[in-house]
Amino acid sequence: MARTRSKGGPASTSADKTASTTAKAASTSTYTLPAESTNPPKLFVLPKNTSSSARIITLENPRYGNPTRYLVCPETGSFYEFTKAAPPNKSTPRSWLLSSEKSEKEPALESQTIQSPDLYLATPYDPLFLLLPALFKSSSNSKSDNQQRQYLSLDDYLDLIPNTDRHFSEILTLPNSRIEKVLEARLASVCDLVEMGDDKMYRPNESKLSTIILSKASKMAENLPPSMEEKFIKKALEAPVMGVVKDQPPPPPPPPPTTSTSSPEETASPSASESQSTVTTSSGTTPSTAVTTPATEEAPEPAFAPAITASPATISLQRLRTSLNFILSSYLPPFLSKTVLSSLPSETFTELEEYLTKLSKLRTEAAASRNIDINGGKRARDEDDDERLEKKRKMEQEEKVKKANTSRGVKQLAKVNTAGMMKLSAFFKKA
Amino acid sequence: MLEARLDTANLFKSAVDAIKDLVQDCNFDCNDSGIALQAMDNSHVALVSMMLKAEAFSPFRCDRNIALGVNLTSLTKVLRAAGRDDTLTLKAEDAPDVLNLVFEATAQDRISEYDLKLMDIDQEHLGIPDTEYAATISMPSAEFKRITTDLMAMSESVTIEATKDGVKFSSTGDIGNGSITLRQHTPVDKPNETVEIELSEPVALTFSLKYLTNFCKAQPLSNQVKLCLSAEVPLMVEYGLEGGSYLRFYLAPKIGDEE
Repeated sequence: MARTRSKGGPASTSADKTASTTAKAASTSTYTLPAESTNPPKLFVLPKNTSSSARIITLENPRYGNPTRYLVCPETGSFYEFTKAAPPNKSTPRSWLLSSEKSEKEPALESQTIQSPDLYLATPYDPLFLLLPALFKSSSNSKSDNQQRQYLSLDDYLDLIPNTDRHFSEILTLPNSRIEKVLEARLASVCDLVEMGDDKMYRPNESKLSTIILSKASKMAENLPPSMEEKFIKKALEAPVMGVVKDQPPPPPPPPPTTSTSSPEETASPSASESQSTVTTSSGTTPSTAVTTPATEEAPEPAFAPAITASPATISLQRLRTSLNFILSSYLPPFLSKTVLSSLPSETFTELEEYLTKLSKLRTEAAASRNIDINGGKRARDEDDDERLEKKRKMEQEEKVKKANTSRGVKQLAKVNTAGMMKLSAFFKKA
Repeated sequence: MLEARLDTANLFKSAVDAIKDLVQDCNFDCNDSGIALQAMDNSHVALVSMMLKAEAFSPFRCDRNIALGVNLTSLTKVLRAAGRDDTLTLKAEDAPDVLNLVFEATAQDRISEYDLKLMDIDQEHLGIPDTEYAATISMPSAEFKRITTDLMAMSESVTIEATKDGVKFSSTGDIGNGSITLRQHTPVDKPNETVEIELSEPVALTFSLKYLTNFCKAQPLSNQVKLCLSAEVPLMVEYGLEGGSYLRFYLAPKIGDEE
């Protein structure tokens, strides 16, 4: 079991088990309670198949531009990003208690507790994303004109990758490193290629990129995590019960404010997302090869369809768009997200768009009618209030007049204690 | 059509003054025999009954029965404009909206005329039977007024106890008690100061002083006041007027222990 220095640096990692790896930061005494470590270990879940030469390196996050740690295994050429799994409820104190089974390979790890309940998961990461800023940066201002881009070699692109800590170049130069090959393959997938003798020259191609992104999205859409499914698919397409609107016999579900809210990370403007929509539906006609699944994969999903009119196709389109938005907003540099969106075939999401616009219209109508209802009620109540107020005012006025026309004697008699005095009608009969 | 003229406004003024402290609005029922009024106070424990017979007016003319619903406070305000010795004329149509009052100061040849808006008043009318009272006390109205005022200092209620020897007004309150006893007394030279007691059986009843002091506002109407008592019937306080007209007050006795 490998020990990992949690704090950055080329750690001496060789994680060969899915098991957790801990770093022992401070030496501990057997007899006394060890002082709290200033650099406490962190808990990682690392992939099994990494070699001992795998390293955690710091690279610039292609999306946010901040230094981010990645796990890189030179021998397999695979990249991993770290996802921090935080406890859902921060108010409940949690921590890790670690103990290890005896292993012949490695000395048993000392049992310990870790105060921080965080867990870091290494998940596979497409190094293509690392290349993207370098690939497309140069041309970001010139509007996606493929012709104007230059053909460059892989090395040229790699040089463009920010390498402040020299981690990246180090990893490239490790013996047995397959990284360069992997990168080249990824690079090739989004670029036009020209071979000049032995040299291969690449020129980024946006339509290829969007194809790849879209295929990633559709792959992701096949298996959305339940939380996302709930929040962005079900809720977004769900129609609230509209008992209120009686004049609309077939009440099509007003969508919750889906169109733009469907994913918080969604950077896409509505119009942009409209344009993406084509890819899935018309995939048959779209030349893009990458758009593999759309229609077919959508079919099996309808079980989730809310009782109303959202068709299975619409639902899967919504899934696709959610996934796409997620990818665009978490992995691609902002400027690229827009480019990708705009380069999508324009009819991809038309069906979904139509549905959503219909729904939003209905929803506003429903909201309006509900408002009318509320306002109507309010108005009625106001009128009632007015009437009551009017009456009250009248009564008060009358009372005032009455009071003004009441003599002092009458007022004083009102205070007299008449207990024990029978009414005169008890003595005198009515005439 | 009503037309009734009083030689002096004073009578009407005093009557209305006394009534207005007991009731707020009431009907003046006018017919050919005169102008009558009956009303109860808000608590319905006291009743005022006024009868101004046609003979009290000169002239008096009333073709039909007319009910003049009047707010007495308003009427008082109008009557304030009348001098004590002015002649007062009441006029009303058969189905009147207003009561027309004319005050004439004969000495100054001054005529003032007022229209008082009338109102519809629903009033229940009680039939008051002729009662043989166990005790009838006649006394100067000023004396009665003084007694009620004096005893108000002691308590809110007064016990009137009529025996052969005399009539005793007594009150017991927080600060102590007090009583005034009047004996029969018939001075020949001052008939107004006569105290007369007609008694068939002794009687003692307790009444609210506040109501009695209110009744006493009618004191200017008459020099003598007549108190009529019987066990377990309302006290009658009568201010008799010339020609059989009267202003009577009835007050329910307090039954049971006082607080």
